[in-house]
Amino acid sequence: MSSVAAAALQLGGVAIAPLAPGTIQTLKARLQGRRGASPLQPYRVLRRLWGKSTVDPEGAGLSYRLAPAIAAASLLLAFALVPLGGRSGGWGLGNDALVFVGLLALARFAVAVGAWDPGNGFALMGAARDVTLAVFGEALLILALLLAALPAHSTDLIAMTDAAGGWAAWSHTAHWCGAFAFALAVLVETGRQPIDNPDTHLELTMIHEGPLLEYAGRDLAYLSWVAAARHWLILTLAAELFLPHPRGFLGGLAALGGGLVAACLLLAVTETTQAKMRILRVPSLLGVGCLVALAGVVFSIAGGP
Amino acid sequence: MTAAIALAGVTGLALGGMIAAWPGRVSLGLATQAAGTALLGLGGAIVLIGPHAVGAGFRSGIAPALGLDPLSGFFLLVLAVTAVPALIFAGPYVRAGPSPRAVGALTAAFLLALVGLLGARDITTFLGFWELMTLVPAAAIIVARRDSPVRAAVFAYLAITHLGGAGVWVALLTLAHHGAIGDPAALARAGTGAQTLVAVSALIGFGTKAGLVPLHSWLPRAHPVAPAHLSALMSGVMIKVALYGLIRVEFQWLGATPRWLGIALLAIGLCSALGGVLWALVQHDLKRLLAFHSIENVGIIALGLGASLLFARAGMREWAAIAFAAALLHVANHAIFKALLFLGAGAFEREVGALDLDRLGGLLRRMPWTGGAFLLGAMSIAGLPPLNGFASEWLTLQSLLHVALQGPVWVALAGAVALAGLAATAALALMCFVKVVGLVLLGPPRRPECAVAVDPPAAMRVGMGALAALCVAIGAVPGLVVPTLAALAPGASGDVLALHAGLQVPGTGSLPALGLALALVALVALLFRARGTRHAAPAPSWASGQALTPALSWTSAGFTKPLRIVLEAVLRPTRELEVVEEHGLVQRIAYSNEVHPLADKLLYEPAIRAGLRGAALARRLQTGNVRTYAFYLLMLVIALLALVRTGVLA
Repeated sequence: MSSVAAAALQLGGVAIAPLAPGTIQTLKARLQGRRGASPLQPYRVLRRLWGKSTVDPEGAGLSYRLAPAIAAASLLLAFALVPLGGRSGGWGLGNDALVFVGLLALARFAVAVGAWDPGNGFALMGAARDVTLAVFGEALLILALLLAALPAHSTDLIAMTDAAGGWAAWSHTAHWCGAFAFALAVLVETGRQPIDNPDTHLELTMIHEGPLLEYAGRDLAYLSWVAAARHWLILTLAAELFLPHPRGFLGGLAALGGGLVAACLLLAVTETTQAKMRILRVPSLLGVGCLVALAGVVFSIAGGP
Repeated sequence: MTAAIALAGVTGLALGGMIAAWPGRVSLGLATQAAGTALLGLGGAIVLIGPHAVGAGFRSGIAPALGLDPLSGFFLLVLAVTAVPALIFAGPYVRAGPSPRAVGALTAAFLLALVGLLGARDITTFLGFWELMTLVPAAAIIVARRDSPVRAAVFAYLAITHLGGAGVWVALLTLAHHGAIGDPAALARAGTGAQTLVAVSALIGFGTKAGLVPLHSWLPRAHPVAPAHLSALMSGVMIKVALYGLIRVEFQWLGATPRWLGIALLAIGLCSALGGVLWALVQHDLKRLLAFHSIENVGIIALGLGASLLFARAGMREWAAIAFAAALLHVANHAIFKALLFLGAGAFEREVGALDLDRLGGLLRRMPWTGGAFLLGAMSIAGLPPLNGFASEWLTLQSLLHVALQGPVWVALAGAVALAGLAATAALALMCFVKVVGLVLLGPPRRPECAVAVDPPAAMRVGMGALAALCVAIGAVPGLVVPTLAALAPGASGDVLALHAGLQVPGTGSLPALGLALALVALVALLFRARGTRHAAPAPSWASGQALTPALSWTSAGFTKPLRIVLEAVLRPTRELEVVEEHGLVQRIAYSNEVHPLADKLLYEPAIRAGLRGAALARRLQTGNVRTYAFYLLMLVIALLALVRTGVLA
């Protein structure tokens, strides 16, 4: 029964994912003393884009046109992998953390390849930066997932969520190290300050927004949804693996809701207080995250507190 | 029965070589070779699936002996799976290339050497074919390309592989001396000294030939200059056969494996994986870039092997077998997609001439078959789901992750570092192949030849298409292959993994590859359809208001610039900017950017300098005067007599 409910919730996640960036934007505006748009603003943007026709840049071929669909399809599959409240619907797609990372990589590949087709310099600049940061971001994400896998001895996301439940995990130093590393990974994957600025309209500073520059209409709607879905999925994982939650489906779901709101608030506070860093300094920051995660592995195996 | 099939295969291969040497019969010869290789692959498959050995077993004597066991069978199958499409491709390719008869005949000789090495059951046969395997492709390269840079590359190849390859002789002769070939207990009796000697010299000897850092320097020199089908065989099969030797010695004949060996393999594998892909990223030539990626992938295989040794040492038989299967699966996968990429590069080269990355472009539109197959190969090597590269990288990542879940703390830390390194390697490979796909296949043609290129003849397309289909097939159902491979691990007990289409590995969330692949294709189709057909007229690409001219198009160096700056300390790029001004106006700007391999500077240049200095000293002995040589002889006799007198020489 709970697997059917979980499946329904995962499908619901696909629909409510745009709320995550919407909420962050609203909270950020309030923190900055502005009224800001409602959290539903991303839906309005999606509706507007869905009704528009596509404008392909000159020289764009099939790989450019397919890129949004491939990115959106891989993120849709990722929704099936990430359990909610420690349960996942019976999709037959497994629940492996590393497959999840692979699907994110596929989406990144599709978008970056799409940027090469029309050969727009700004798009390529963004794509080059995105794949460069991903080198460090992916290592960091996998190390953080390793720390989350330590108590469960498995990379099954359901088992990892269960093992992170309760308060026992918080008495281990490794868990704190993992939480720090994963927090940095969240910043990379969601593309928020201080690593990237999703609100930028200056082409020279774009990272994730760069490859989207030429897209219009439904293609842009897909890619906007992809950005929202990345927020949703990575924040869900953060809440389930590294924020306190009880074991069990309903309690886990309630904690997940609270955790998501808390994570959005944290991101909004970070965005308000932190300026965007120089892009070439980002790898050192992520390197610090990797070192902390490695220290977590040592703590955990050495059996320290 | 199996022996008969294998013998028929060898006969076909030899016959094909002879036919190819006949004037005007190259295509027939290569087709015969393909048939022979296919028979050999069939034999290998029967031995692998059986699983039972045919022919002689391993022995320490020097009398020639041949036979096949399941591990040889697996490598023979990999050879056939790679070589048959490469030979089909080679038909039209060799005929249009230089010295077709010699290249056709040498191809057969090369394949025979590889097959002989896999079938060798004693050291004489093994070492004989080992040397032939090195020499035959060198001959083929020299026959096909006669310019002096190529000769220099071939010389470097022979020098490095022979110097490093001495390790193979030391390891095998020591093993034979202790009677330990095929008998792991014998070396264990001989003590840790002999074990360490064998382990280290095998690592150096086979590691050199496999292209492991730091003895890799020959590989990016030799592989790109060979004809395409030989590049495919060298990168796809030859370096894997070196790994076959490494597995034989380190996994089967060493007796007890010391823990440092597992850690050493992880360290070497990580250096090779990261180093290979980093230097691949800064290459300007497609085939050189692909050659560097071979180093990366051999590194990934070494990571799997190292993890397997560490698990075996910790007594975790099941995971030892899984990590071993991960390494073997990557052996097969890399053979397939690297052969595909080299064949694709050969097809491009045939159409447009030089393979300078910045001067290609738009080839997917002009050559849809070649370009499409090349794109699949690029996605496989970048480790993207749902293709075969992802399956083996996933399995390797899982192995390393589970190493990191185990104690003791140093092993766990090594596993975690290797895990992070492999994740970074995968992301770097993705970056590299985004660049390659963009520069070679997409965008506008950057040279007139690229605008008129057309797909090659059907045989070449079939060769590439078969390999691309294998990438998809193994990616969709890796679970049908992996249990067989896991059973090859030393000490594996029966069925480690059950037979599924996907990979159901305990301690993971499983990789249902077929479901993922189907769901992905269905969703992409659905979303692409939902995208609708309403299009406004195409608009020019945004370039801050100016027209997007070819001069504004991005280059290979531009795309990797952020990474080069971030990793300046490791890559140490040199940059030369020359601005010529006349009358206050800039007339000409010359810019060059090079990244010199670190290993060349730190290892090879000092070694070459020391070698030359040593040669200069030795030259002083050579006076050319016969009386001096007589004096040397006299002194030698006196010295020997003195040694006998003092009892040093009995």
